[in-house]
Amino acid sequence: MKNGPLFLFGLLVSAVIAWSAIVLGAHGQLGGLTPWFDDGEGKSHPARPTGLAARGQLVYADLGCAACHTQQVRRPGFGSDQERGWGDRQSVARDYIFQERPQIGSSRIGPDLANFGARKPQPPSAETLLALLHSGSDRHPAFPFLFETRKIEGESSARALKLSGKAAPSVGYEVVPSERAVTLVAYLLNLNSPYVYPEAKPLVRAVAKEEGKK
Amino acid sequence: MITSTIQPPPSDGDMVGLHARGPLLTAFGLAIGWLVASGVFSLIAAIQLHSAAFLADCEYLTHGRVRALAETSFVYGWAGGAGISAVVLILSRLGGNPLRAANWFGAGSVFWNLGIAAGLVGIATGDMTSFSLLQLPRYVQPLMVFASAAMGIAGLLAWSGRRRDGTFASHWYGVAGLVLLPWALTAAQVSLLWFPMRGVLQAVAAAWYTEAVIFLWLTPLSLACACYLAAKLVGRALPSYEAAPLAFWMLIVVGTWSAGRHLVGGPVPAWIPTMAVFSFSMLLYHFAVVGLNLRPVFGLSGSVGSALKFGVGSYLLYGAVAFLACFRGIALRTQFTHFASATEQLFLYGSVSMILFAALYFLVPQLLGRGWSSPALMSGHLAGATIGVVLSVVALGWAGISQGAVMLEPKTGFGEIASGVRPYLLVNTGAQLVLLASNLLLAVNFLRSLCSCCQGSGVSTALSEGSAS
Repeated sequence: MKNGPLFLFGLLVSAVIAWSAIVLGAHGQLGGLTPWFDDGEGKSHPARPTGLAARGQLVYADLGCAACHTQQVRRPGFGSDQERGWGDRQSVARDYIFQERPQIGSSRIGPDLANFGARKPQPPSAETLLALLHSGSDRHPAFPFLFETRKIEGESSARALKLSGKAAPSVGYEVVPSERAVTLVAYLLNLNSPYVYPEAKPLVRAVAKEEGKK
Repeated sequence: MITSTIQPPPSDGDMVGLHARGPLLTAFGLAIGWLVASGVFSLIAAIQLHSAAFLADCEYLTHGRVRALAETSFVYGWAGGAGISAVVLILSRLGGNPLRAANWFGAGSVFWNLGIAAGLVGIATGDMTSFSLLQLPRYVQPLMVFASAAMGIAGLLAWSGRRRDGTFASHWYGVAGLVLLPWALTAAQVSLLWFPMRGVLQAVAAAWYTEAVIFLWLTPLSLACACYLAAKLVGRALPSYEAAPLAFWMLIVVGTWSAGRHLVGGPVPAWIPTMAVFSFSMLLYHFAVVGLNLRPVFGLSGSVGSALKFGVGSYLLYGAVAFLACFRGIALRTQFTHFASATEQLFLYGSVSMILFAALYFLVPQLLGRGWSSPALMSGHLAGATIGVVLSVVALGWAGISQGAVMLEPKTGFGEIASGVRPYLLVNTGAQLVLLASNLLLAVNFLRSLCSCCQGSGVSTALSEGSAS
């Protein structure tokens, strides 16, 4: 290691090889993923997020929601993700191809949101979500800065939240969601990836074994 | 038993040079400032974990943003700032020449710290990138590359212009830490921020960068300090030294191949997490040799020696825990829980920070030409830091394990899980408070030492005496 230039060269080559193998290797495998066209349905999956939802993802990212929520469902038998009703199949790379900043997350202080727009028996309504964002709950922080409390002039706004109890504004005032709150909720309710791609089907061991016998 | 002292040790070769004292001391001071700031953010984040409403209605301090603020100010501000400065100083001392390109170091350090300050404001106002360990907004990222490169140049010159022909482990690790950060940061920025890759590939590239920060930047920086301090405090060559080069190359070559351990079970190609198990088992050789090389530090006593001992021990423990958590069966129980924070805390605080504390207590007296103003504050700080790290790692680790076990039960709701781990999270808040308080002691001690040094007229005299002896 007395040879300085050789030492530096070795350092950089090692780092470049590792980066290329992991990052470029994965890119080579997944970089060309295309939407899956279903002949029966006559349309392709995943659908592009709506404009509102795409903007909502930026709000989700800048508030740091991913610090507590993941957006990845693991395969059956690996964790209780599907038993918890977070999705009917595991998440696959194709689910994320149209997302500008995928927020797969690494911490579950709260539930997974990968299929939040398809919760059973029925997904939460926009009003419930806005109320949660405005007032919070025991476990969820409130984000009142996403809302505007303003004096009612004339008729009250159709977008005003119907709040009761402590959270309700004083008489003559109304709470109106800001554009950011609206896009965030649109994003959350748009989170849904129901289509079962071939690669998302769980590998059934029995079938695999039988095929091995043939 | 060897007792370490806070008196300046006998100098090897010339002093670093008067001209380099200002930039180095400033860099150390700012790093300590970021350490205190990150302590405040970590405390807020810890409180929010058990009391969700705390300060969350302040737009700048949502839990996600506070976490990013704490992580960024700790990793880049404290560990990066202090680590790079300590390594530059060590390389200069090992080289035996006054520090060259000190103005490059100074300018780089100023821009590094300005970049972090601007970045923190950006994160608080919603410009974070949402990639772990790369949260600084995109507009300050290029600045960080140039600033770290400018600081590193001084270290590289000290290394290439050394008087002795041979090199030591501190040389290899130090140079690697200085050179690889600008490269890794550039690669991450290009693939994530300037020309973002598609979909989950971003998660893969981000995981690679996380691993690069751990194994190509912070580990080399802290091991450079640890090897230097071990040789100085123990006073003889490190044992099993012939294995050290291979252990070094093992870290550099296979270190980042284990990036997939952050993505177990995720929507990424399955070979990526599998590769992590394979490469981390090769890394065990690196950890074993580091343990062998640095085993004399476990015989040290005294504050600096204990901090070093704790840091090296934490590093080895981190290797073992992180290796186990690579396996799918274990990751299933630890993934997405507080266990991951505990492991990160063990590495960042237990290992990197404690080694840097030891380095700071050893190196700053050489720059000041006199010892720290208060040995009591010093031992108070190190005792507090030790207690804080142990408490928070154990509390978060325990919380993570119990959280992981109940998460596997689909019937247990999140409210129940949260009440189950609440006691541990309260302990963690206490630990963060202890850490913050003890780091304030370090800041006070540093400022007092600086002031007493400036007031005493004998600074230059002390230094010239030092170089004469």
